[in-house]
Amino acid sequence: MKRRLLLNILGPIVSFAALIGVWQLIITWGHVAPYIAPGPIAAIKSVTSNWSTLWPLTSWTIKETVDGFVAGALLGIIFGVAMASLRIVQRVLYPLLILTQAVPIVALASPLVLLMGFNLGPKIVIVAWIVFFPVTVNILDGLNHVDKDLLTLSQVLGAKRWRTFRLIKVPAIVTPLFSGLKIGATYAVTGAIIGEMSASAGQSLALYQHNAIGQLDSAAVYGTTLLMTAIGISCFVIIVILEFLCTPWTRRSVARQLPGRGKKEASTN
Amino acid sequence: MKRRLLSVAIAGSILCAGSLVATAAQSASASSLTTVRFAYDFPGPDMELVPVVAGIDQGFFKAAGLNVTVSFPPNTSSTSQMLATGAADVGFITTSDMAMAVKAQVPLLSIANYSMSNNWGLFAKPGSTLTLASLKGKKVFSWGDTWTDAMLPFVLKKAGLTMKDITVVTASNDTPLLLNGKIDFTTSTSNYAIPGIAGATGKDPVSFTGPSIGVPNIPIWVYAVTQSYAKAHPATAKAFLSALLAATKWAAANQSAAVADFDKMYPKSGYSNAYNALGWKLTVPLLTNSAGQYFTQTASQWSLLDQGLLATKQITSAPAASSYFTNQFVPAQ
Repeated sequence: MKRRLLLNILGPIVSFAALIGVWQLIITWGHVAPYIAPGPIAAIKSVTSNWSTLWPLTSWTIKETVDGFVAGALLGIIFGVAMASLRIVQRVLYPLLILTQAVPIVALASPLVLLMGFNLGPKIVIVAWIVFFPVTVNILDGLNHVDKDLLTLSQVLGAKRWRTFRLIKVPAIVTPLFSGLKIGATYAVTGAIIGEMSASAGQSLALYQHNAIGQLDSAAVYGTTLLMTAIGISCFVIIVILEFLCTPWTRRSVARQLPGRGKKEASTN
Repeated sequence: MKRRLLSVAIAGSILCAGSLVATAAQSASASSLTTVRFAYDFPGPDMELVPVVAGIDQGFFKAAGLNVTVSFPPNTSSTSQMLATGAADVGFITTSDMAMAVKAQVPLLSIANYSMSNNWGLFAKPGSTLTLASLKGKKVFSWGDTWTDAMLPFVLKKAGLTMKDITVVTASNDTPLLLNGKIDFTTSTSNYAIPGIAGATGKDPVSFTGPSIGVPNIPIWVYAVTQSYAKAHPATAKAFLSALLAATKWAAANQSAAVADFDKMYPKSGYSNAYNALGWKLTVPLLTNSAGQYFTQTASQWSLLDQGLLATKQITSAPAASSYFTNQFVPAQ
């Protein structure tokens, strides 16, 4: 158990360290000029030395990412459940769902700004637009693959629709739901940055990076990219932790007994 | 039958030989030209490219022994990098991009001005009653470029304001925001803003440009090469500017034909002939200085730019003006 935990922690650290090492080697051996691409240390240093400027921008990007992610996830769950429950809704909505993902998100940004202004609104819509699709598709797949025998059994036992949903369908969608949330969490920050690039009033992380590109400050460009990546990875890790906490049965070989249930069953026997 | 086959074979051989000779002659003629790879400042072509297009289409470059090819950067800030990495020989950049390149120790050298004066400014939608005096609390659009960052504080200073008194908005397009009242002013240059807004509304925007709004009267765009290219290919640089001067003069004197050349070379540029024609018409007066000269740079234009960039903290120290430019390749006028 301890060895597995150690591997789980050390594995990512080693792979990140290797990535940084390869990056540095490319810069050093390739004699890449600093104005073309910086080494990892210069990029990280650019972040740390400008932290007082970058933190307010980063926290704003995190807010856009989290708000949009929550909105997209809720929308995805609602759509997924509605589509799985009613065939007619699925037939009508499914093509539209695919259409939403085929539309270049950048094309939506300008009308969104015209409708909603420059603040949080358009960014949340863009993030939610990206997040809701994998959540919906995964929920739908989960609900469409519920064990038919269990459903028949619940029907035979006279279970009500809500009870069947709660006891059979919900556990069946937990794993696909978290798969969808993990995909959404990784892409959410991309949506936030697209939103910031499309329209920002005042400062934003995307605008800071845009200015750095204009000033040929490649260390700042790569530094902000690292920050954006860190937000995406953090979102992913948070969902993994949530999944770990919400799905204890995936790590147990024996079913957990509800308190008192064993005694009652023993007495009735 | 045999005779017929023989005559077909002979005719075929003559045709083949003829085409081979023609191809060889063509490649010999192409190889006798010196290739100059020109990089524009924008990811797609627009009307400021008219002089280079005229140089290619009207044969000015060929007459100078040059084969000029045009490429476009992946974003508006990559032309300097294209020059530094050898992906292009001559680049079209803003003077503020040039200053940023020098700051980042990119070994560039400006070899000629494109424009000679500052036509940057603020534009309000047609019919607007806004003035610079009413700038406080307004939303001002910026492309987030170094030039706007350097110029905007001059305007605010003239209006007795600071950056804190306005909201700077950055987005992917300014005209819809301006026309829908989401912003009060956009920042641009007259040769782009006026055709863009006039094309969308049929009316000219309300313009505030040039030294009257407090900005220094300095050129916006230059032609640049790397210092190593300038050292290694002085004759090519000189021939390029000589041909470009002739092409620019021709395009200024024959505006409709020059714009038609551009439309022919870039039919999918996304800009209408009317936009290009008006844009080029507004660009032509910017190309010469008060003495009627093209291209010639001055030390003072670079010093004034340095002051603007220092004031906005885009640079921390002002390099010598001479580190930016040379006039040694500019042809006599």
